[in-house]
Amino acid sequence: MNPPTSTDPGCVAACVKWVDLSPETDPTSGLPVPSAHSWGFSEADRSAVEVALRLADDRGTDAVVVCVGPPDAQWALGELAAAGAARAVLVTSGNPGDTRGGASSGETARILADILGPVGLDADTVVCGDISLDRGSGSVPALLAHHLELPQALGLISVDLGDRPRIGGATRDATTTLMGVRRLDGARRERVGIPARAVMSVEGAVAPLRRAPLGRAVEARRRVQRESSPRRPEPVRPARILQWRPPPRSLPAPEGTDAFERVVSLTGALEERTPPRVVELAPPQAAAEILRQLHRWGYLTDAGAAGAEATAAKATGSEPTDPVTAEPRP
Amino acid sequence: MISFERRMDSVEFRIHSEAHIVVDDTICRDCSVRGCITACPADLFVPTSDGGILFNYEQCFECGTCYLVCNEEGAISWNYPEGGHGVVFHSS
Amino acid sequence: MTEHTAERPSSDNDDFDAIVVGAGPAGSAAALELARAGRSVLLIERGPFPGSKNMYGGVIYGRILDTLVPQWWTEAPIQRWVTRRQTMMMTGEQALTVDYRTEAWGRPPYNGATAYRPDFDSWLADKAVEEGATLVCSTTVTGLLTDSGRVVGVSTDRPDGDVRARVVIAADGVNSFLAKEAGLYGEVDPANYTVGVKETIALPRSVIDERFAVRGDHGVDIEIIGCTGDVPGGGFLYTNSDTIAVGLVLSLPALAAGGRRPEELLAELKLHPAIAPLVEGGEVKEYSAHVIPEAGYDMMPELVGDGIVVAGDAAAMCLAAGLWLEGVNFAIGSGAAAGRACHGALRKGDTSAVGLGDYRRRLESSFVLKDHRKLREAPHLVMGELAQQKLPAMACGVAEDMFTVTNPEPKAGLMRIVRRQMRTNGVKLRSVVGDTWRALRAFG
Ligand SMILES: Cc1cc2nc3c(=O)[nH]c(=O)nc-3n(C[C@H](O)[C@H](O)[C@H](O)COP(=O)(O)OP(=O)(O)OC[C@H]3O[C@@H](n4cnc5c(N)ncnc54)[C@H](O)[C@@H]3O)c2cc1C
Ligand code: SF4
Ligand code: SF4
Repeated sequence: MNPPTSTDPGCVAACVKWVDLSPETDPTSGLPVPSAHSWGFSEADRSAVEVALRLADDRGTDAVVVCVGPPDAQWALGELAAAGAARAVLVTSGNPGDTRGGASSGETARILADILGPVGLDADTVVCGDISLDRGSGSVPALLAHHLELPQALGLISVDLGDRPRIGGATRDATTTLMGVRRLDGARRERVGIPARAVMSVEGAVAPLRRAPLGRAVEARRRVQRESSPRRPEPVRPARILQWRPPPRSLPAPEGTDAFERVVSLTGALEERTPPRVVELAPPQAAAEILRQLHRWGYLTDAGAAGAEATAAKATGSEPTDPVTAEPRP
Repeated sequence: MISFERRMDSVEFRIHSEAHIVVDDTICRDCSVRGCITACPADLFVPTSDGGILFNYEQCFECGTCYLVCNEEGAISWNYPEGGHGVVFHSS
Repeated sequence: MTEHTAERPSSDNDDFDAIVVGAGPAGSAAALELARAGRSVLLIERGPFPGSKNMYGGVIYGRILDTLVPQWWTEAPIQRWVTRRQTMMMTGEQALTVDYRTEAWGRPPYNGATAYRPDFDSWLADKAVEEGATLVCSTTVTGLLTDSGRVVGVSTDRPDGDVRARVVIAADGVNSFLAKEAGLYGEVDPANYTVGVKETIALPRSVIDERFAVRGDHGVDIEIIGCTGDVPGGGFLYTNSDTIAVGLVLSLPALAAGGRRPEELLAELKLHPAIAPLVEGGEVKEYSAHVIPEAGYDMMPELVGDGIVVAGDAAAMCLAAGLWLEGVNFAIGSGAAAGRACHGALRKGDTSAVGLGDYRRRLESSFVLKDHRKLREAPHLVMGELAQQKLPAMACGVAEDMFTVTNPEPKAGLMRIVRRQMRTNGVKLRSVVGDTWRALRAFG
């Protein structure tokens, strides 16, 4: 295939996926119902287009919208691109009868890389929606970055363009072209500097897509360029199902001059320790015992411990008794 | 009978951030008929204890019933939502 | 708006020959005719796709499509062909049904068909696009552009949203803010409107076939009166492939005054012993509501103004009178007539109210206005107390007395039963005769 070439090298591309936005199941059978009118582009993908438009604006280049999907997507893609993209490219899988798209993430990323790479549109920056709605994994942008050999900044919750109005909440610092904020585990955030050439993926709230002016909306349906995918999807190999294992975690190397010492320090085998004590008590006594133990370890003052004992005694109507110490269970 | 919430859950609404219908409930306080409360098929007009009307635009069918039955000039300012937003029927 | 304004001097700044607002059946039919005649036409729809804002009972009478889309039945998104039509009169626990079926309605050229409007309207709009019309969705028309009183285009809610044309066709449905803005409507009276609510209920196809005694793609249409309590109105039940549609049409002022909510009345209908077994076990798939211009001929606006014509529900061309619930066919008929009339006016270079006058003449000579004029009285009759409450009660009462075996009492004669039922239901012979006569004139 001859991928479409760019008129204006260094364009900004937005990659979007045609998905069922509100999948419907038959309430009587529970089976999915094919629905004609619920397909479209997710908020995240629309946001990606808006970010691409602003970046292109900022840099004075073109924005291009690319979709790997079925022929059905053509009109909606045109409407999406009407918001301001120089053009829209729809890559169909080349499989006759494929009305819903259906390339794997790997396949999609390879097709996109062909289109967006140096022999194609030669895109500087690629913006994708973060995770597609159809139970996606967000891996296409990562794979795409790999194929294009570009750095990646994925799962952004805001992007800042500098003196332009910022997108979302990020602010730019002087040294990098672009600043973004990324969500990390545990509700933490990370500020990332994004180089001029990179693959990004953005969440839906980053930038609501602007409305297309009427003139462009009217033209929209005629503007989409259709490409056929050069590759047939690879034959599907049955997946190997592996047992789940916790992911590996890197630890500092154990201390010690020889192997024996290192093993000892790694396992903690010879260290002093208090053997565990297992007790079985009714809840009030258990509470009292916990307090007593905390007191013994020095976490509680004398007064606090005594008050707690009294409360426990009141609750059970008896003097505090010695706990029955049970043998640890195997 | 299914609950009203279930009933409305069966309908798709592509909600816009701005309300397309605005009810001026200072005018509603003088209204004796209050036809909107029973007539709105989406049950969006809720009388409040202080004699006003609480209106939510999100689950609106854009049918027009409310402005047709409303007898107080100016209580309801009625518009269609921005193109592409609002109710979307699939099997009606 | 009948005075003649001079023909517009220049058409250089027009973007299109014609703009059609609303891609419902009326708008798409108009756009299709105009595009087919070689006119540039822009069809504007506010929903994300044609039909997304539209609901109705459920039966389309498709013969009007014969001239627009030959062999339409081979491609239109049809659910079932109606081969069985029932009219049901009911009271709280009685029902009397007239049941007609014919296989003839199940083969070309067919009669009525059930269909989902999102599917059907999208299909018809696609036909217009295939003929060369330009469709733009997700675009709400917010007003008319005028030039010294004459309509020259529309404004929309998109950036740079004004667009100009030599003629505008308002096919924007029952609320038609465009026809109102153009001053074509007089006072708007809520009594002329009803609101329809409906549930689309999912049931397996085989269950529907069995319950309604139909096979393959044949289906049933049931029209119901006497099922709306104190609120004048009517009910309907239609079969789709694997759903049924059950709904009510309710008079607005009575609904507003009566203290009963639409979904309550609908729930009551679904519990009626004649209906409950038909809907049992189904799951509500979609609930919907829409307003109907009920009063037909007597509420119609002026149909043309300078640079504007009105078609379909926007011009109140919906026939909703008990035995009939038709609007899509009238919308297509009037839309097509509007398209042809506009083409003629464009050719003559006169799109003033006078130049567009041919539209009304076309409608007068077609079923659109003929039917409406003939059935002018029907809505008032059907929404009257006699038809709403007394007649259903009396008809059911007569049937019950006729068929209840009261041995050892001898059977009562029919006349005695009728007289007794008229007395209990407070029906005066004079009013029955009078209304029957009016009905014969109205429906005949
Ligand atoms: C409950 C109910 C049951 C019915 N049952 C039947 C039946 O069984 N059979 C039958 O034949 N008829 C039935 N009808 C009547 C039928 O639905 C209407 O007569 C018919 O839809 C009219 O078509 P139309 O094209 O004129 O208007 P509509 O179908 O209302 O189309 C108007 C279009 O214009 C668009 N629009 C409106 N304003 C704007 C704007 N400002 N900018 C852009 N777009 C706009 C709307 O989104 C819509 O798509 C029923 C109606 C109801 C409510
Ligand atoms: S009918 Fe109108 S004025 Fe009265 S309560 Fe409702 S919205 Fe307010
Ligand atoms: S338009 Fe209809 S659904 Fe919306 S608020 Fe008014 S009556 Fe209710």
